[in-house]
Amino acid sequence: MKMSRALLAFAAATALTCSAALPAAADTWTRGFVVSAYEYAFRYGGRPDFTRGGEIEPGVDCPRGSTTHFANPDQTRIALARQKWRSQQDIDWIAAPPGLDQVRDPGQVRRYIWRRALAYRGYKRGIETYTNPWAADDPGQPQVTSRIADGLNLDGNVGPNDFVSPGGEKGVDNALYRAWGCDAPWRGNGNAPYALAVRDSMLFGLYTMVLRVSGNQDPMNDSDATVEIGYSPDKIVRDSRGGIAADYSYRILKSTQYTKLKAKITNGAVETEHVEHLHMPRIAYVYHMTGDMDLTKGKMRLDIAHDGLSGTGLIGGYKNWRDLYAEAAFVNDGGGLDVTRYEDHVALYFALRRNADGMYNEMTGQYDGISTAFRIKMSSAFVVDPDKPMEIPIVAGEQWRMKGTEANKAAFIKGAKTRIPQNPPPGVSQTAAFPTLERAMKDLPSRDFFLTLDRPHWPDGVGVDTYGNPIDDDGDRIDSRGNKLDERGNPLTPPQPQHQVSNGAPATVATGQER
Amino acid sequence: MKRSIATGVALVALCALAGISLAADPTATPALTPAPAKPAQASSDNLPLVPPAKPGVFTATKMGSDQFHLVVAGHKFTTQSDIEKYLTYRAAELTMEQKASWFTFVESRTKADTAPVPQRDPAGLRYSFRMEYFRPVWRYKTSSSPVWKSWSPFAGAAFITDGPKIITDFEVSADIVLHKGQMDDVNPLAFEAGAVSDLLINQVSPPE
Repeated sequence: MKMSRALLAFAAATALTCSAALPAAADTWTRGFVVSAYEYAFRYGGRPDFTRGGEIEPGVDCPRGSTTHFANPDQTRIALARQKWRSQQDIDWIAAPPGLDQVRDPGQVRRYIWRRALAYRGYKRGIETYTNPWAADDPGQPQVTSRIADGLNLDGNVGPNDFVSPGGEKGVDNALYRAWGCDAPWRGNGNAPYALAVRDSMLFGLYTMVLRVSGNQDPMNDSDATVEIGYSPDKIVRDSRGGIAADYSYRILKSTQYTKLKAKITNGAVETEHVEHLHMPRIAYVYHMTGDMDLTKGKMRLDIAHDGLSGTGLIGGYKNWRDLYAEAAFVNDGGGLDVTRYEDHVALYFALRRNADGMYNEMTGQYDGISTAFRIKMSSAFVVDPDKPMEIPIVAGEQWRMKGTEANKAAFIKGAKTRIPQNPPPGVSQTAAFPTLERAMKDLPSRDFFLTLDRPHWPDGVGVDTYGNPIDDDGDRIDSRGNKLDERGNPLTPPQPQHQVSNGAPATVATGQER
Repeated sequence: MKRSIATGVALVALCALAGISLAADPTATPALTPAPAKPAQASSDNLPLVPPAKPGVFTATKMGSDQFHLVVAGHKFTTQSDIEKYLTYRAAELTMEQKASWFTFVESRTKADTAPVPQRDPAGLRYSFRMEYFRPVWRYKTSSSPVWKSWSPFAGAAFITDGPKIITDFEVSADIVLHKGQMDDVNPLAFEAGAVSDLLINQVSPPE
């Protein structure tokens, strides 16, 4: 105890001395924060006590509730009927696979079948739809009809399609909310499945986003403040209740996911300038979604609590809508999300395109960006520079998936630009549920029919399974020489000749002994 | 005690230094601009996907500041769908050529027409286009008569029953109005030009 008191006294004295010696630094201040919640600023319009029971709670945002794409066989039938090249029997069998009750996991097998079929919705057979959504008929998307939205005025104008903020501010640009705000997994009263997934992924160390606010006047009122936002390589420290532990130290990397902005602070409300590009960590819940968000004409508005221990914020800007589509759809092949979460990324593609409102492209005469806003919550932390410059760490074991995702994005953009359908690149796990469906429907009586559905084909050893292992065109795992392996990677042993088995003594020997 | 004091000095010094360096961070750099994803380009990517039409196959007549009357004419009937898709594609291309982004289809109805009028549905699904509502009017001649006959999709009658093999001339026409800015996606007769063009570009060719 004595030592501690002595230490404190000495530290206080030294601090006072330092302050006296450095008068210019006396008014400088810095506050750090680690982001604890990060989601699209979609304003839920249903009942406040909504608990996700029916998943389609109507509200002032979405009068008919959330999306219901592929929520049942009838919805799937509607989507399949848009392809004129399908026969009615094909549609009926895909929507309700015959003999499904004879497999071990009927719900899962049905989802895999839907996933395969829905991955091919182009104007003719053989065009993979998530890589080439532009080559499909627009499936339609429920959109937000409310005029109230969270977000920021990005263009300085009050346009006819702009929203009004809950506080009455006009000219709010958040076209992404209109396009995507009724999507089931992003819609909710703080309990949207994907919003929870993002939060949990951050809490469990997928990535960390930090902010540092500094100035030279007063933390609550400063006309010449600075805001920095970026990636931290340090995992979030949680307290005993699973929340954010306050005041731990996090390094901020001045990397491709870092931006420094000028700001003004009035009564704790931080308003930054517009910057041409606002770089920060991308919203993500799996590793291969992570990367640079890159908002054009971005800005931030933060509200910092008077005690400085917490804050909330809005981050806005125009996001390249093609990038956004790819980053949303290629979490896996697109279809996996659609059949489990009742969204439709093809419908999203058209909704993004239709609602694009920024980054005007003189060459094409069209908008490349869509106004976007993110909502964050943050907790007090020490945000410090690293001892030496460092890059964002990579997860080596996930690089194959990251590369596959990037390859799929490149193929999508090339196809959309040239309007020549592109094949889904190899290295993308689970395209059209291949080879998962082959394995899952071994007991399905109608299996042979579903094997005739379109799917990707790659040379042996080029395609991969769910874990990135090379497979052949049958979907079987193989080694580098093309030999088939079992699902655990063990060589398949050739069948052994059967041995004669007898419980009785050999008759000839017995006869000899008798003699 | 000495060790505690030494630690304290170090801590305070570090804090002070950190405070000074953070307030006037000389190493801070402006935001980096990452290279956007650039798809590979091959020379074949820029080839025209739709063959050029022969003279007289497609005509667009300006009817007002933003309205056009479009006609696709030919002699060799293939299918209703093929020919109407070509007209739809040309409507989309014209819209983009005129620096507009979407168009509305003007239905050519008479009082006697029985086909239901498509309704707006503000709470329903939104679409970039509804191909089934691009319904042009037909005019045609057959080998058995030099007189033009007409067929309207709104009259409730079945499509041309004279048989495609005896059609010697046809004209398919539509009126469209061009628009800029945010698309009225509640309007069932609204078509986003870029999306329509994308869907049809690999499917259409001019009739002969």
